[in-house]
Amino acid sequence: MIEDGPGSQHGGQLGPGSGGLGMVTKSQQDDGIKQRPQYSMPGILHFLQTEWARFEMERSQWEVERAELQARIAFLQGERKGQENLKQDLVRRIKMLEFALKQERAKYHKLKYGTDLNPDDLKPPNFDKENKDDQIDGEISISTSSGSSNATWRQGRQLLRQYLQEIGYTDTIIDVRSARVRSLLGLQTQGGDNDADISQSVLVNGEQQLNKRDNQGKRAGLKKLGNMGNETALIDAENAVMTTFDFLNQSNVVEDEDDLSDENEDGMAADDESEERLERKGIKLKNDTNESLAGVDDNDPDTEEALAEFHFLESEMVEGAEKRDSPSGEEEEWVVDQRHISELKEQYKKERKGKKNRPTRHALQAMLATLGGDDDDDDDVSADNNSDRLPSDENRDDDVPAGGNQINYARKPMMGMPDDEENDSGMGLGELAGLTVTNEADPMNYDISAPKEVYRKTWNAKYTLRSHFDGVRALAFHPVEPVLLTASEDHTLKLWNLQKTVPAKKAASLDVEPVYTFRAHIGPVLSLAVSPSGEQCYSGGMDTTIRCWNIPNSSIDPYDSFDPNVLSDTLVAHTDAVWGLSIHSSKNQLLSCSGDGTVRLWSPGNKSPLLNTFTVDSEDGVPTSVDFVRCDPNQMVASYTSSNTYIFDIETGKQVLMLETKLNSDSSGSNQINRVINHPTLPVSITAHEDRHIRFFDNNSGKIIHSMVAHLDSVTSLAIDPNGLYLLSGSHDCSIRLWNLDSKTCVQEITSHRKKFEESIHDVAFHPQKPYIASAGADALAKVFV
Amino acid sequence: MKMANEANPIIRRNRPGTKTKDWCNWEDESFDEMDSTLAVQQFIQQAIRKDFTNVEQILNPPEGQDEGVWKYEHLRQFCLELNGIAVKLQAECNPETCTQMTATEQWIFLCAAHKTPKECPAIDYTRHTLDGAACLLNSNKYFPSRVSIKDSSVAKLGSVCRRVYRIFSHAYFHHRTLFDEYENETYLCRRFTKFVIKYNLMSKDNLIVPILEDQQTIEGESEA
Repeated sequence: MIEDGPGSQHGGQLGPGSGGLGMVTKSQQDDGIKQRPQYSMPGILHFLQTEWARFEMERSQWEVERAELQARIAFLQGERKGQENLKQDLVRRIKMLEFALKQERAKYHKLKYGTDLNPDDLKPPNFDKENKDDQIDGEISISTSSGSSNATWRQGRQLLRQYLQEIGYTDTIIDVRSARVRSLLGLQTQGGDNDADISQSVLVNGEQQLNKRDNQGKRAGLKKLGNMGNETALIDAENAVMTTFDFLNQSNVVEDEDDLSDENEDGMAADDESEERLERKGIKLKNDTNESLAGVDDNDPDTEEALAEFHFLESEMVEGAEKRDSPSGEEEEWVVDQRHISELKEQYKKERKGKKNRPTRHALQAMLATLGGDDDDDDDVSADNNSDRLPSDENRDDDVPAGGNQINYARKPMMGMPDDEENDSGMGLGELAGLTVTNEADPMNYDISAPKEVYRKTWNAKYTLRSHFDGVRALAFHPVEPVLLTASEDHTLKLWNLQKTVPAKKAASLDVEPVYTFRAHIGPVLSLAVSPSGEQCYSGGMDTTIRCWNIPNSSIDPYDSFDPNVLSDTLVAHTDAVWGLSIHSSKNQLLSCSGDGTVRLWSPGNKSPLLNTFTVDSEDGVPTSVDFVRCDPNQMVASYTSSNTYIFDIETGKQVLMLETKLNSDSSGSNQINRVINHPTLPVSITAHEDRHIRFFDNNSGKIIHSMVAHLDSVTSLAIDPNGLYLLSGSHDCSIRLWNLDSKTCVQEITSHRKKFEESIHDVAFHPQKPYIASAGADALAKVFV
Repeated sequence: MKMANEANPIIRRNRPGTKTKDWCNWEDESFDEMDSTLAVQQFIQQAIRKDFTNVEQILNPPEGQDEGVWKYEHLRQFCLELNGIAVKLQAECNPETCTQMTATEQWIFLCAAHKTPKECPAIDYTRHTLDGAACLLNSNKYFPSRVSIKDSSVAKLGSVCRRVYRIFSHAYFHHRTLFDEYENETYLCRRFTKFVIKYNLMSKDNLIVPILEDQQTIEGESEA
């Protein structure tokens, strides 16, 4: 039929035209005849129609698909935005912590030196709240209500609130946001009667619909409520979306600038009012919800819902675009498309909405919960809270504020905010802002945390060890534990566990009570050494004996019954006071020096513990201090009252070398060496002199390396840190000084003890592993610094 | 005096290497010249070192000395020196033979160092009492300063005295040889008895060690 029709038509037209062209036309006609059936007019029309229809259908499907994908994108972007905000939040928090740390440091600095640190260092991170300072100083209530920091504090608070809003910009928090937006709009009516205005509108709003925006938003809410009774949870979001959208329609992309300008108006009144407003809005939203439960409205529910959804999406997009600093061109494009979508596919979106909204909610809740959890410094708990909260959130219209309240109960006492400042408790935002603010106080607990490593460590007195009745002559740390031993002129040694502290009255330093008292010496205990295992210690006393002790467990009950086995051995050979002890780091060998003029080498625990005796010419006087040469285990060094210092070979007992200590000393008067120690890794001996000097000698040549006036009075004691980088010295000038061994410069000076007669500090020590140093004083105290 | 001589001032130090005989072997310093916060302790120790048998002199405070601090520093010194008797008791006073802190049969003393007072063996009672006294007398709460002492804290000294006196009484009644030996070396119990009588820190009924030939007379003298 198709073939016939067109064929005859063509024949009729072309046939009569010309005979000469017959052949050609014939063949053409043949061709034509072959093609002709496809081009019949009705056929083409039909074809075009069907194709068009198909195309249209496909196109509409694509549209649907596109709408779907766009919605999905919007959702994902929202999520991403949330994550970004979360990240930002964390970064900010880190900055806050850093700042708090700086503050702490400044405080210490100030306390210590009485001067302020460079104030530039103390500028709070600029994007964030200045109220951190206040928090840290515990003066928040004062400074919020008065004081020069008001403006900055407020600004900071606003910023914080702003970013919190960003973080929770999706549906749940949007009610908060919208309230805020409203409040911003409400600024137009800003004046003395602002509050009244708002409360009025709150009252009237539900029925008279004075405010167009509120009206719209509320209608959406009403509709929803009416139709989806149990989805009341969405109503807040709806309202919020509506209002936000309306606002956006007006001010479009300028929203943030609006915010900022609002904030920049600073001024107490404006801020307070906006807070007021926020609070009222929150209440109003609830009111609306309640009223809408009554379900009085005649608009088409579907339309409203779709509209709400559309607003929701759009606001989401716009916010996303704005909040990021990226060029907003593409986002705006999306916005336009959103309109399209909503127009084309209302129904589809209605379906989506149920699905999509909730996941968003969940995500937000999770974020919020995590946020709250972080604030509580307890991630585990927050996770629990999170899972607990989620199901119930579905049916609550005030979930965010509730969450805020929940945390608020714990937080508020700490914050110490005046009520009028914080009376926006109906609002999640106020609470959240408060939360983050409070968080600032926490860093105080971590003042010794890692970042300090970056700076030069400053030692501060932490523990005061009071229990001795007379001067503390020697102290030594346990090799591993935070445990200290002291030896005193009151005839006793005491064991201290730095982890068993008694909070001191002024909290500046902690008091420690001894866990054990070693009694056996008759007379002052003058020297002390702890074995490398930390199981034994050795003490030398005025009674000429060296006592070997098994150190009791540091968690022993101080009032346990007497155990005679704590005193394991007594080394007797010296005939005068034992003034110095040194223990070998790997061999079970102990060196002692005594007022009887001898240095002795012991192997404690052996049947005949005395291994060797070292003597010098009588002109050299009495040994004052001994130490093993740490980098040559077969040598030891001993210093004498004559201010000579000798290196001995331990095996042969012969002098190997004389350090040129006397040569370099002031020859007039007595300039005895009070302490000699060896560098842990280098062949260097260091001597502490009565003439206020510390001198460094080469163990191989005996030549002096360096000499320095180290103190204002005689140097009594030396200690080297385990790495050999720092030297600690104590002096009868009441101070201990820390020296950089590399530059031989004083890094820190601490006045530590008081004088008894002309004596002040008898001994200093480094903990072999932990960051503790300690000093022993003639004032019967020992102090530990961290 | 000597301090004024700047060319050769006396520096009162026990430097490392000091022989036992030279320990604190320096010229006495007058109390007025002692400018340290520990002057009272220095003064008391100086007096003891000078002549430990001259109990009266040791207990004689310098003019204008705050009595609370004076009592406090003396009590510290007593506790310090009581370590000596405790060391001796550790060697002799066996927890199996002296299972309780007793002096005469009249009383069993319970050790106050524990949460609920406990019937500690005598040696434990001794150690615990001395440790507890060390804690109290060094407590930052009650005795934050050795220069001025609150009255409420001074009131605590009496109970410390009462407890540490039991160490004397136990040693006297159960380890007489040890006690006599130590008393001859230190005159500690005499000094202590006179101290508590002088400052009325213990009731005389409790002073059961008849260390003073005529405690009534002594008392009368000190009051006079």
